Amino acid sequence: MDKAHHVGMAEMVVVSAPESLVTLGLGSCIGLVLYDQAAKVAGMVHIMLPDSRGAGGKALEKPGKFADTAVPALIAEVCRKGAVRSRLKAKIAGGSQMFALPGAQTDFLAVGSRNAKETEEMLKKHGIPLSAADTGGNKGRTVEFSTKTWMLTVKVLGKGTAEI
Amino acid sequence: MDLANFSNLQLDAMREVGNIGAGNAATALSIMLARPVDMDVPKAELVSIYELAEYYGDPLTMVSAVFVRSEGEFTCSLIFIQEEDESRKLVDLLIGQQMGGMDPASVPEEMRDSALTEVGNIILSSFLNAINVLIGGTHSISVPGVAHDMLGSILDVVASIFGQSGEHALIVDTSLKVENVEGRVSGKVVMLPDPGSLEILLGKLQVL
Repeated sequence: MDKAHHVGMAEMVVVSAPESLVTLGLGSCIGLVLYDQAAKVAGMVHIMLPDSRGAGGKALEKPGKFADTAVPALIAEVCRKGAVRSRLKAKIAGGSQMFALPGAQTDFLAVGSRNAKETEEMLKKHGIPLSAADTGGNKGRTVEFSTKTWMLTVKVLGKGTAEI
Repeated sequence: MDLANFSNLQLDAMREVGNIGAGNAATALSIMLARPVDMDVPKAELVSIYELAEYYGDPLTMVSAVFVRSEGEFTCSLIFIQEEDESRKLVDLLIGQQMGGMDPASVPEEMRDSALTEVGNIILSSFLNAINVLIGGTHSISVPGVAHDMLGSILDVVASIFGQSGEHALIVDTSLKVENVEGRVSGKVVMLPDPGSLEILLGKLQVL
């Protein structure tokens, strides 16, 4: 079996075919994959929050934590491992809102949709086409990206599995 | 306040807050179920947000979670979290006790979920009431939210509470255990103080 690399919170992992990338139990977090099929390279980052402003110098230590720093950092990392920037494509999954409390001041509970929006905006800003996305809703996701099929498998409890 | 500089004395104080809150929550649960409820010694720990997903075990474990927010002088989030089969047992006990011997299996899923949300709400509200009596504060509690999902996905909420301001989460938790003829049913009460409101709480406890 080809090795599946686990991508923990705020981590960034780049692999070559035929290896795969896995993130377990995404809630409001985002799993972003950048891949270059010709170079057979793919990277995944596990984004926690939308925006590094206010985090001081911490964003530099863990660029994967915030959408605005994770996108350029992952681009640099996959290109360093042989991907060509103009060939890069992206897939994303995650960004759920696990709890809804009507009437409460709970901006942080809606962080999932802000994560998804900021990630998409950053991809657009860096000129990387988004080839598939499965974001939002109120369920957690487990995702696995294959460098053999270049598909992102998204598992949702009680709803089954989808390939995007 | 920066959790990186949290002292042992302050962690002890948070543990005591957990003890007082969980004691009241255990009493409320015991009255509701008319059964003895035990509690573990509360924990107060600083956990790296990057290790949160595995903090309570396999992130793929299926769990039930009831979530409330408390607004007031001391703002925090609370979660009552159980493995899914434990939560089914708790709802069975509650329906058996409160609905006159009704067969829990005959109760529709929506009603079971509503019962779970309410029992979680009462546990978490009792926890908060005791803390606010302790610090002499006033508070309002949100309506509860409920989720059935992977443990890792639920803990993402914790990461997003603490992640913006730092690298650590302050987790105060206690297990409640209902004594039952068929064995124990357990659940965890987890308190997550807003980093910005800790100074108020610690100030009132005179450990700032």
